[in-house]
Amino acid sequence: MALDYRKCAEEIASLIGGGENVVSAAHCATRLRLVIADNDKVQTEKLEEVEGVQGLFESNGQLQLIIGTGTVNKVYDEFLAVTGASAATKEDVKAAAASQMPIWKKMLKSLGDVFVPILPAIVASGLMMGLVEFLGKAIPAFNDSAWFQFLDTVSNTAFTFLPALVAISAARVFGGNLFLGAVIGMLMIHPGLVNAWNIADGYDTWALFGSLKIFGWQVFSIPAHGYQGHVIPVIIAVWLMSQLEKWLHKHVPETFDLFVVPLTTVLCTAFITLTIIGPVFALVETWILAFAKWLITVGYGVGAFLMGAIYPVTVVFGLHHMYNIIEAGMLGETGLNIWMPVASAANFAQFGACLAVAVKTHKQKTRAVALPSSLSASLGITEPAIFGINFRFMKPFVCGMIGGAVGAFFASIYGTLTGNTLGATAYGVTGIPGFLTINHPLVYTVELLIAAGVAFALTFVVWKEDAPSKKEKKAAEEMAAQAPQTEAPIITCEAGSINAPVKGSAVNYTEIPDPTFASGILGTGVGINPVGETVFAPYDGTISSVADSKHAIGITGAGEMELLIHVGVDTVEMNGDGFECLVQTGDEVKAGQPLLKFDRAKIAAAGHPDMVVVLLTNADDYESVEIHPEAEQEGDAVAAAAEAPALA
Amino acid sequence: MKQFTYAITDPIGIHARPAGMLAQLAKSFADSAVTLTKGDQTVKATQLMKLMNLGVKAGDEVTIGVEGGDEDAAIAALEAFFKENL
Repeated sequence: MALDYRKCAEEIASLIGGGENVVSAAHCATRLRLVIADNDKVQTEKLEEVEGVQGLFESNGQLQLIIGTGTVNKVYDEFLAVTGASAATKEDVKAAAASQMPIWKKMLKSLGDVFVPILPAIVASGLMMGLVEFLGKAIPAFNDSAWFQFLDTVSNTAFTFLPALVAISAARVFGGNLFLGAVIGMLMIHPGLVNAWNIADGYDTWALFGSLKIFGWQVFSIPAHGYQGHVIPVIIAVWLMSQLEKWLHKHVPETFDLFVVPLTTVLCTAFITLTIIGPVFALVETWILAFAKWLITVGYGVGAFLMGAIYPVTVVFGLHHMYNIIEAGMLGETGLNIWMPVASAANFAQFGACLAVAVKTHKQKTRAVALPSSLSASLGITEPAIFGINFRFMKPFVCGMIGGAVGAFFASIYGTLTGNTLGATAYGVTGIPGFLTINHPLVYTVELLIAAGVAFALTFVVWKEDAPSKKEKKAAEEMAAQAPQTEAPIITCEAGSINAPVKGSAVNYTEIPDPTFASGILGTGVGINPVGETVFAPYDGTISSVADSKHAIGITGAGEMELLIHVGVDTVEMNGDGFECLVQTGDEVKAGQPLLKFDRAKIAAAGHPDMVVVLLTNADDYESVEIHPEAEQEGDAVAAAAEAPALA
Repeated sequence: MKQFTYAITDPIGIHARPAGMLAQLAKSFADSAVTLTKGDQTVKATQLMKLMNLGVKAGDEVTIGVEGGDEDAAIAALEAFFKENL
């Protein structure tokens, strides 16, 4: 039977004298580690009998209760709740920082987090779909071949079931159960519901509460159609599901958890999704569709301009799949599909924007996504480009909207002026494959070039790689300025040579202003009056120790060289204030890698010398140890210059 | 083999300087091996880095063990060292 964590935690709390007797609480993989104020209040024997406690002992001033892997964290959580003790971790601080982000930024970040993992699927599908559609239009005979049937099925799989992919990814991002997320996503494209792309053929309505109406709204009736190609309603539904699930997990006793939580979660989410979230979006979509249908007919290029701009927004909402209705209608009425050039301009502009990102980015990872995504967009499938790149970074998306608007405007105004209305004789393809169905290929070429060109140029100018990378660059430059010379080592022995770990002027260790260091008890080496504030690895090695007060680092190198880098004298008393350690014990480091940063002003304020002590602690193990303090002497002039303003 | 257990009272614990002094003292007894144990970790007292690595702080209990020819003299000197410095 599963352990009742709450009960276990409560019993522990009562046997150690309650929450007020706990100084601090932590846990490792198996043990609950408590620091107790008054050990006399702890009833050790009874504690051992608590169900879930497999043993206990006291060590290092901690009372350690062995509880077991996978269980201890839950008991710990309950223990914190029971005793009111709080646990502040680095993650908490990070989460707090994240919660400071404006809401729209948070939403955009969530959307990105949801889409990035599923990009391989939609990039593969997008490219394949573009090529298959192109071939289908280029070679009519191919359309009827078994190959076409096969490739068409393979290529549209990811898009047909996009809501399921999105739902799984979203569940992961929002902390819900992946499989419950998948259920919600698949529900939205259930074959039992009328396919969203065939809504025009009609669908049933499930009136769950009969004809009960409030203000003309039929209460909780479900339009029995699916949400193929949709993204936003799915993410909202899964977000809701995850919140609900997490809440239930917290409030339902563990014994009933599996009976109650998944069932309640799925049922409630399904109900809300199909009665409210889905229909609201469907309603908005109908309006937008009607609006788009009207907008495209507005003359003098105005309609085309606006539609070219908002088209990608409708792609984000998954609306673009329904434009076929408009296109089919046009072909039926006039024999010319004037929608297609607008859509093409919009899509091709996203291609241009995405390509600009691919060209401009310094990050290999971004380029690896942007290149294939832009190719897919040029073939008319823009989801990878929009969700993978443009919309995530936002600026390229907006630049793409402008490019699309300008391209569509050109085509429309050209038609008005010359009487040669640009249009297609079929529907279903845009971008490069669109050449197969367009009536004026040359005008179409110019339109696409304008759209992509404007988007590319704007993106190239406006979009800049994330701000942090700029900071990183600046930090890297500062770091480089602090780097000591690496031409000549300051210490050599038969095991290898040791570079100065910090920039400054070195002296023999006997001149270090501290009798212990100067006596050589700790080893042989140099003291460096630093001008930089960063300690760099003096050779390739392993970090063998990092002082808790972060002022000293031990590093083991070739031939068992044990080097101690001790920043300042008596700085252990500063308890880490003014020091920032960049490595951990056990880390492998490369020569020249930054290890530790220190604040010379703070060391001075604390009244300590800031000399960096560099000692080969096992110098006795080597026959010939030579020290070369003269090797690191660049800093003198700089040091004087740097210190002058500090005095003023 | 002789040993004693000592609870560290120095607020800073075994940091660089006392570690160096301890290592030097341990080295001075050439005929004996001096070890220092904290929890389940035991290190040779002559190895400065390993000593520092233990991160011994105030309130920690450490066990010092000496084994060898001059262990009587060593254990007495070490006890005196700990009482005086740590």
